Amino acid sequence: MHRILSPLMIRVLIFLALVTVICAVFQSITPRYLTAANFRGLLSAMAISGIVAMGLTFVIVLRKFDLSLAGIASLSAMTLGFVLSVTGALVPTILACIAIGLLCGVINGALVGYGRLPDVVTTIAVGSIAYGMAFAYNGGADYSDNFFSSGMVTLNFNTIFGIQIPVFLLLITALITGFFLHATRFGQSFYAAGENPRATFYSGISVQNVMIVGFGIAGALVGVAMLIQISGIGSSRVTAGGQILLPAYTSVYLGAALLGRASIPATLAGSLIMTMLLNGFTLLSIPYYYSDAVVSFILIVAIVLFDPKIVQLLKNPRRFFLTNTAG
Amino acid sequence: MQSDKQEAVSGLFSNFGLPFLLVILFIFFSSITDTFLTAANLEGLILSAAISGLLFLGLTWVFTIGEMDVSFVAVAALANMITAGMVIGGYGWPLATFCAIAAAVFVGFFNGFLIAKMRLPSLVTTIATGGMASALAAAIGLGSSMGIEETGYLEVLFDTKIGIISMVVLLTLTIIAACWYVEEKLTLGHYIFSMATNPRAALEAGIPTARITIILCVFSAICSGAAGILLAVQLASGQPSIAQSLFLDGLTAVLLGGTMLKLGKPNILGTMVGVLIIAVLVRGGALLGWSDAAFSTIKGLLLLFGVAVVVWTNKSSSDIR
Repeated sequence: MHRILSPLMIRVLIFLALVTVICAVFQSITPRYLTAANFRGLLSAMAISGIVAMGLTFVIVLRKFDLSLAGIASLSAMTLGFVLSVTGALVPTILACIAIGLLCGVINGALVGYGRLPDVVTTIAVGSIAYGMAFAYNGGADYSDNFFSSGMVTLNFNTIFGIQIPVFLLLITALITGFFLHATRFGQSFYAAGENPRATFYSGISVQNVMIVGFGIAGALVGVAMLIQISGIGSSRVTAGGQILLPAYTSVYLGAALLGRASIPATLAGSLIMTMLLNGFTLLSIPYYYSDAVVSFILIVAIVLFDPKIVQLLKNPRRFFLTNTAG
Repeated sequence: MQSDKQEAVSGLFSNFGLPFLLVILFIFFSSITDTFLTAANLEGLILSAAISGLLFLGLTWVFTIGEMDVSFVAVAALANMITAGMVIGGYGWPLATFCAIAAAVFVGFFNGFLIAKMRLPSLVTTIATGGMASALAAAIGLGSSMGIEETGYLEVLFDTKIGIISMVVLLTLTIIAACWYVEEKLTLGHYIFSMATNPRAALEAGIPTARITIILCVFSAICSGAAGILLAVQLASGQPSIAQSLFLDGLTAVLLGGTMLKLGKPNILGTMVGVLIIAVLVRGGALLGWSDAAFSTIKGLLLLFGVAVVVWTNKSSSDIR
């Protein structure tokens, strides 16, 4: 059977059509939408949720959930503020912020992998422990020492090779994680461990170690995202992680619905569409709580579309009804 | 022989571990502070335990059948804000509470429909429905909280007291007792635990699993909504983020409670012991001047400990990985 377009090609075309429609709708309402300045703002906004979502992708590919992201974010944000106020130097601050995220993630992975504990409950517990520890710094008060003298705030708007640092970090993260997950042998074992952990174990791959690496990457990337967010706010605060969970899940599931399975390109696509919508709503000055409702709604639509039964229904309605009414 | 002994030890631990912890905590706080064992403190403790007990009551069964519901705090906040918004808008308490419960039923049915009929993963689904419900709750008050001036018919429940036990507590206890009766004695209870043990076999045996899942989701939402309304009465205000701190409490109580009696399966009695443990911990800790942060860490450790006990003592369910 000859196909003019491969299934993946069709999905990519649907994605591009969706982007075009969103652009057209917002552009017709506000002429500020398709401007260079807004595009730069959009990419910066996408950096935070996109980087978190790429980390979460590894966990979702493993068919696990991570609900500790918000707690880890608060802890790494406060660690960042603490180290910056003590040392006043940028490099140890950045390393500490990412390292604490990595550590929390590795603990998650070890408890789920080696401890055989259920992922959801474990990550909720680790997240709440991390959130509590965030308050241990400075009694939960904001840190804003050395933010200007060390150049922390410039992270948000300085450029590398003519690209803003947040966007640069987004691209670098996408390249590294994309290469790791899709072009290395170890990356492929994530999909194997997600599909069938037992078979993966017997084919000589340590599923436990894969879990540790997966959750570890998710934690470390939360640290990276916090660098951008905190440099943008200009001070470290415990509430820094409050808003990262929902957009991250929405990006991953929307991407998976669009491109057929969870992957780094899919997550980027999902993140782009979600950020384009949120950016448009911000331009129209729609209050934040309506944006939350929209993100939640997109998430439901994405899960429904990603559902294998729905995919079957769209592909072959007759067979769908035959198989589902018989049983 | 060895395994019998081990089973007996783990059985003893799982049946009496939590009540024992509760007693220890109670004695600890009573002896270390002067104010813990006073009528005023105990009254507050029982009241807050009753309201959160109601909030987590229906949630317990949703977790029992192996589904995850994380929208319960959002449902409570939504009911809370609808009540506040409508009372302030002049619709009166009866209509306001009716609409709040109706909204809760709607969210619960939506959850149940998506989980049972569409067979979507419950965790992500309820993250999304919870997100919508809390967004709606925030939208009612345009992002801020609202004070309620007018007192309504529910005020009686808080004002009528027998000693330190108010009507709210008695009402909640009655509902909990009824649920316990359903769980232990009625067919529905057997259905719920058969679905918990083997959903496939339950379905093959002719149990309407999808319908039960929807009923449990709706019941959970009604409980959360009712607790949200009670919080509106108690605090005389509607607050969009009212139950945020109860999120972790709920999961801790339900999952910790699941370590008691029916190994690994959340049940009503276990949840209530979990609720009491948290209430004692929070009240006692507050008297000792512990910060919110300390509670967050302690609850997290408690949760981790509870789950580890279930998984590691239940060797038969151990698996490669």
